[in-house]
Amino acid sequence: MSKRWGQKHRRQQAGSYFWPTVLAVLLHLAVFAFSLLKLPTNEETPDSSSIVQATLVSTETRTDVAQQVSEQRSAANAEEKPSEPQPEPEPPAETSPGKLEQAVIDQAEDMAAREEQKALEQAEAEARADAERRAEQAKREAEEAAERKAKRAAEAEAQRKQAAAEKAAAEKVAAEKAAEEKRQQEAEAQRKKEAAEKAVAEKAAEEKRQKEAEAQRKKEAAEKAAAEKAAEEKREKEAEAQRKKEAAEKAAAEKAAEEKRQKEAREAAEAAMQRELEGQKEAAAKARQAEQAANGFIAIVRRAVEQAWLIPAGASDSMSATLNVRLGPSGEVLAATVATSSGDSSFDRSAVQAVEQAAPFIELRDLPATQQSELRQFNLRFTPGDVR
Amino acid sequence: MNENTMSIPHLVANASLVVQLVLLLLVAASLFSWVVIFQRSFALNRAQKSHEQFESTFWSGVDLNDLYRDIPADDARRGAENIFQSGFREFHRLAPKTQRVDTVLEGVQRSMRVAWSREENRLTKHLVLLATVASASPYIGLFGTVWGIMGSFQSLSMAQQATLATVAPWIAEALIATAMGLLAAIPAVIFYNRLSSQATRLLGQYEDFAEEFYAILHRNLQGRDAPAR
Repeated sequence: MSKRWGQKHRRQQAGSYFWPTVLAVLLHLAVFAFSLLKLPTNEETPDSSSIVQATLVSTETRTDVAQQVSEQRSAANAEEKPSEPQPEPEPPAETSPGKLEQAVIDQAEDMAAREEQKALEQAEAEARADAERRAEQAKREAEEAAERKAKRAAEAEAQRKQAAAEKAAAEKVAAEKAAEEKRQQEAEAQRKKEAAEKAVAEKAAEEKRQKEAEAQRKKEAAEKAAAEKAAEEKREKEAEAQRKKEAAEKAAAEKAAEEKRQKEAREAAEAAMQRELEGQKEAAAKARQAEQAANGFIAIVRRAVEQAWLIPAGASDSMSATLNVRLGPSGEVLAATVATSSGDSSFDRSAVQAVEQAAPFIELRDLPATQQSELRQFNLRFTPGDVR
Repeated sequence: MNENTMSIPHLVANASLVVQLVLLLLVAASLFSWVVIFQRSFALNRAQKSHEQFESTFWSGVDLNDLYRDIPADDARRGAENIFQSGFREFHRLAPKTQRVDTVLEGVQRSMRVAWSREENRLTKHLVLLATVASASPYIGLFGTVWGIMGSFQSLSMAQQATLATVAPWIAEALIATAMGLLAAIPAVIFYNRLSSQATRLLGQYEDFAEEFYAILHRNLQGRDAPAR
């Protein structure tokens, strides 16, 4: 028994550092793997300790549907919270402010996104229409130019043909005249010769001579006519070849010009598209900036009102009142009306007083004009929360 | 500064060379300390178990001569068995040579003390490494952190705008060194205390056993000595 122990002991002694090493390495690998492992971080937005929630409502640019949605949302939020054992008729949704704010932000984002989308679409459509228009115009111009050119070519050909025909006719007349003159001269010369050499003219010989002369004349005339005809044909052929060549050259030039024009039109369309894209980007950046500015303004208002608010002693944590605030163009408060009463008139009054105390919100003037009109009216929600 | 650039491996990869060396040193220290922790834990548990087994055998009324003969000479035993073996061997060697009880008991006691000392040496082996890691690695980590923060301030002096974003990665990677040092030190401290207390308890048990065995021998010698004298 003890011998068996001894063997076991020795075996364990031999490998005594093997398993510990393996275990240690495994442990470190596990720790390393754990450090690599990214735990799903719950990115909860920190519960804002602010006791006044500002809610932007009823701006001119907002569509009615969006407003309805927001109202429904806030209503749902209010209903979500079951009534607490508080005497207040409308228990405020203590847990909802974050949500509400979120909803507002969502809404604003939605709006911005929608506007952006709209702007994008519009710009795209414009760009497309522009490009189409341009292409059409270019096409039309090209067609007109082609027509004009063809017409001109046809006219030129016709003129050329007419000129050729006239020329041919003139040549013929000239040739005939020349032949006639020659003939007369010959005849005269013969007659003179006959008169000089042979006083007595034999009618037969004369007839014969005359006949021969006539035949010759005829022959000559025929030959001349044939030669002229051949020459004419040749000239015409040459002219035709020239014309064809010219026409081909012209067509090639036209084609090249057409291509160039099309290319230019394409490039112009691309450039226009590029410009549009840049414009869209700028618009998006502007929208974002505006949104930030709006958020900043809301935050300022909230802080100012919070500081000015003297919470009445009798107010309970779950009380909440919503005020509708309308601002003048320079940030002064035109009206602060209770939209949703807390049920406690002193509480409502304290909220109104807080808004009046915090006014004017001169930061409104720093905002861009489009934002100003949107932020002229907003809702403020007053909940003491856990800040007493 | 997104999550990716602030993840631990990314920070380590971007740290300066000194910080990386410190981290390497600390990882090695942690590794060694864990090897020692596992090895010592197993060894001490084994020693505890075998000691219990031996004690039950020893007190079961078995003849000590048989028990001694059961232990093979070439197989050195551990713990109390080793003490018993060396003490009994010395007793056997001395008893025939001398009639004086004091001499025999003195020799037996000396040999048992040597065996006990050897056992103590064996049980507390490498525990010093744990103690060293436990006490030194926080300082090493702190050194890495100080070095990293020095680097962060140097980079801050060169930066045009001293924002949190310019120093935050540096400080984070510097703090990793301290974290690493603590990671190595904490288990080392805990297990050093646990293991050394375990070893001390075991050594106390060995000592008790040695005393008891000595008492048995003493009793035997007293019984044998009286008629012999």
